[in-house]
Amino acid sequence: MDAYIVAMLVFAGVYALMALGLNVIWGLAGMVNLGLVGFFGLGAYATALLTKNFLWPMPMGWAAGAAVAALAGGLMALIVARLRGDYLAIVTLGFAEVIRLVASNEVWLTNGTDGISGIPGPWRGQVSPQEFNLIFLGLVWAAVGVAFILLARISHSPFGRVLRAVREDEDVAAVAGKPVLWFKIRAFALGAAVLGFAGALYAHYNAYIAPEGFAPLLTIYIVLALTAGGVGAMRGAIVGALLVVLLLEGTRFLAQVIPGVSPVQKAALREGIIALSLILLLRFRPQGLIPERTRTRAKEAS
Amino acid sequence: MTQFRMGRRAALFGAATLPLFAVGGRAFGQGAPVVLGALPPLTGAGGPYGPAMLRAIQGVVEEANAAGGIRGRQIRVVAEDDQTNPDAGVRGTRKLIDVDRVSAVLGTWASAVTTAVAPLCWENRVPLFTVSGADSITQLPHQGYIFRTQPNSQLQIRTGTDWLLAKGARRVFHLAAQSPFAQSSQEVMTQRMRAAGGQVTGFIVYERDKTNFRSEIDQVMRSRSDTIMLNGYLPDTTILLRELFRAGFDGRKFTFAYAAPASVFQSLPNEVTNGLITFQPSPDVDSGAFKRLQSRFGNTEVDPYSAQTHDHAALAILAAAQTGDASGTAIRDNVRKISQGGGEKVDNVTDGLRAIAAGRAINFEGASGPVDFEPSGDISGTKFRFEQAENGRYKVLEIA
Repeated sequence: MDAYIVAMLVFAGVYALMALGLNVIWGLAGMVNLGLVGFFGLGAYATALLTKNFLWPMPMGWAAGAAVAALAGGLMALIVARLRGDYLAIVTLGFAEVIRLVASNEVWLTNGTDGISGIPGPWRGQVSPQEFNLIFLGLVWAAVGVAFILLARISHSPFGRVLRAVREDEDVAAVAGKPVLWFKIRAFALGAAVLGFAGALYAHYNAYIAPEGFAPLLTIYIVLALTAGGVGAMRGAIVGALLVVLLLEGTRFLAQVIPGVSPVQKAALREGIIALSLILLLRFRPQGLIPERTRTRAKEAS
Repeated sequence: MTQFRMGRRAALFGAATLPLFAVGGRAFGQGAPVVLGALPPLTGAGGPYGPAMLRAIQGVVEEANAAGGIRGRQIRVVAEDDQTNPDAGVRGTRKLIDVDRVSAVLGTWASAVTTAVAPLCWENRVPLFTVSGADSITQLPHQGYIFRTQPNSQLQIRTGTDWLLAKGARRVFHLAAQSPFAQSSQEVMTQRMRAAGGQVTGFIVYERDKTNFRSEIDQVMRSRSDTIMLNGYLPDTTILLRELFRAGFDGRKFTFAYAAPASVFQSLPNEVTNGLITFQPSPDVDSGAFKRLQSRFGNTEVDPYSAQTHDHAALAILAAAQTGDASGTAIRDNVRKISQGGGEKVDNVTDGLRAIAAGRAINFEGASGPVDFEPSGDISGTKFRFEQAENGRYKVLEIA
C-alpha cells in the first residue's frame, strides 16, 4: 500500500508541475493552451533521446527537455500572437497533435509508435524499486517546491502584474507602454519550460514513453486540475493536481466497496464519478478551491 | 502545507484499506486467497474487447474455485481498467501490485500499455500475460516474466504473405496504418514476395485517424496490383473498403481479422465487403477448452483475445498449483512445466488441478491453441484461420 501511495504522489507531483506551467500561460497571461501535452512530450522525448543515445547525464537531459520546450513555446507564442480564446485553443490543440504525429511517424528519431523503452532513471536498478520510488518522490516534489516558489514570486513581480494586465485587456496594457507580444512570448516560454521539465521527469520515472502517452486525455486532466484548484493561483495548481490524482485513484476504491458492481460497470462508474465531481465543483465553486488573490485591490481603484 | 494535507488524506486512505492489505500480507499463509490481477481495456480504443476478456478470466477462476482452488486456497480476481492508455495502465498496475499484491497480471491488450507496465512487473517479480502483438515486447529485458499468447506481428505477416503467394498473388500493394509493425511488415513482405518472384507494388503508411483516402486509392489503382494488403484498424479499413469499391478495384482484398470483424457487415453493404479475405491467429475452435468457453459465453462470439485471456488465467492457476506457491517467480518458473512437454493433456483447470494433485505431469492445451512458449516468452505453434466475406457472413476458407 505505501509503495502505491508513494507512486501516486509521484504522479501527483508531475501533474502539479504541469498545472504550474499551464498556470503561467493560461492563469497569468490568459492564453488558453490546450497543447500542453505537446510541450510535455517534447521535454520527455528530448531527455529520453539525449540520455539514452548520447549518454548525457540526467540533469542535463532535464535541462535540455525544459530548454527545447521553452524554445517551442516561444515560437508558438510568436505564431499565435494575434489569436485569442477559442481560436487559440484550437491552434494549441493542433500543435500537440502535430507533436504526437511527428513522434509516431519520424521512426528514425523517435522509434515511432514502438516508443522508447529503457530510459535510465536515477539509481534505477542499483536500489530496490521502492527506494527508487522514494528517491523520485523527493525529486519531483523538490522540483514542485522550487517551481512553486519561483513562479509565485514571478506572479507577484512587476512581470506578473503586466501579464495579468495583458490577460484582462491587451490594448490597455499596450497603451500603458508594455510590449505585449514580448511579454506573451516570455510567459509562453516560461510555462512551456516547466511543462517540458515535467515531461523530462516523467520519462525517467516511467522508463518508457510512446506517442500514445501524449494523447489529449492528459491535457484534459491538467486543465481540470487547474480549474478545480483555481486558475491564476499557484497554490491552486498544486491543490488541483492532488485533487485530480485523488479522484482518479480514490474512485478505484470507492467503486470497489459498492457491492454488486461488476468491473466493467466499475470502470464506467469511475469515469462518471470523476466527471460529476468536477461538474459539481465548477457549478458551486467556479473560482476554484483556492481563488486567485492579488495584492492590488480592484475595489479601491473603482 | 498542501503536501501535509495530502499526507493526512493518504493516511486516511491507507487506514481505510488497511484490512485489505492485512489480508494480502497473510496471503502466504494457509487458506488466504490467491489474487490474480486483470488489466484489460474496459474503456478507450480497446473497450469493445476488454469486457469479454475479463469475463473469460473470471470464468476460469470460478471453475478453479469450484474445483477446490490452488491446494485449498481460493482465487480472487481484481480487475483494473487500463483505459487503453499507457499512463492509466501504469497507475492501474501500481494498484494491482502494491495494494492487491497480485501474483500475476493478465490480459494487457494495447502494445503501448504492455510496454509501459512491463518494467513494473519484472521489477516486482510479477509475471505478465499479454495479447499484444508488437515484436519489441518480448525483446525487453524481462527475465522471463512476460508470456505472450498472441503470435508476434512478424510471424503473422509472414504467414499471411506466404498464403497469398500460394494463392497466386504476385503484385501486392501494402497499405498500412502507422503502427509499431507497419515498417517491419513491409520488410517481411518485400523479402517473402521477392524470394517467390513476386513484388510489393507500393507501400503507403497513413495516419489511422484519417477519414479520406483519395490519393492513396489512386496510387493503388495506378499500380495495377492483383492484391491489396490492408494493414490497419477497423475505422480506417471500413473507409478504405468503401473507397476501393467506388474506385472499382477488382483484385484480392486481404486484411487482418481484427481490422474487419463481423461488425463491418453492419456498416458496409454486402457488395462492398464481398470477397474480402481476413486472417487471424485461430483459436483452436475444435478444442475442448474453446467449446467450453463458447458455451459459457452463450450467444456472444468468442474472439481470439478472450480465448487467450482464458488461457492466461488457466496457465497462472495451474503453474501456481504445480508448486503450491503462488508467488510471481514460482508462476514464472512453472508455466512451461504445465503448458508443454510430454505430460497428460488437459484442456481445463478442473482436470488440470486434479491431475496435479494426483502428482501427474500435465500439458495444458488452451482455447487459443496448444500454448507452448519459446524461451523469449513468445508463443509457438499457433494455427491461422483464413475467412472470406460472402453476403454479410464470413465463411472459413481454411485453417492452416
